[in-house]
Amino acid sequence: MASRSKLSGIQRQVLALYRGFLRTARLKSPEERHRIESVVSAEFHENARNIDRKNFVYIEYLLRRGKKQLEQLKDPDITGLSTLEINKASLH
Amino acid sequence: MAAAALRPAILRRIRLSPSPAAAAGAAAASQPHALARWLARPMSSHDAHLTRDEVVDRLLDVLKCHPKVDPSKVSPEAHFEKDLGLDSLDTVEVVMAIEEEFKLEIPDQEADKIDSLPLAIEYVANHPMAA
Repeated sequence: MASRSKLSGIQRQVLALYRGFLRTARLKSPEERHRIESVVSAEFHENARNIDRKNFVYIEYLLRRGKKQLEQLKDPDITGLSTLEINKASLH
Repeated sequence: MAAAALRPAILRRIRLSPSPAAAAGAAAASQPHALARWLARPMSSHDAHLTRDEVVDRLLDVLKCHPKVDPSKVSPEAHFEKDLGLDSLDTVEVVMAIEEEFKLEIPDQEADKIDSLPLAIEYVANHPMAA
């Protein structure tokens, strides 16, 4: 694996998005935070494992989708992550 | 003559300066947040600065608590990826946990650079707000 100093722009964007989700999760109730963290963590790790790192088009698409989901999650009225869970469930 | 006799007495009055306690009180009143912060200090076990040993100990604990880390491999020289087998996503989790442990907010640019315990120790030990 490349050393951290060689993180590509797109890698940095993915990590920033992941960080954004984890930061936003901190603002929710403890049990909701825990659920968000495990769902988001599973999703990112799964995608990191399964998606070809050169598939930029798909990764860019996921980045855009993730950013939109993060914006929604930042809304204080939104307490949970049921959309992500439904997405996950529909994959199986 | 009478005035000359009164002079020392008058001077003594005029030279009354605010006592240190009154000055501190006034300063505190003008900076309520500073006072609150000062009052809160005894609640945390740390004074102005964390000792380096303390930083190292707490960082080692943070690393050992990460679910993917084998605690026996954690040392102050460990590299997250090479020694502990963490990927970049795990590293984000670790750095976020470090933020929480030391009540910091590490900007993305800085966070992306922290990939080993020596760098984490350096960052936290030099951070003025680390608590």
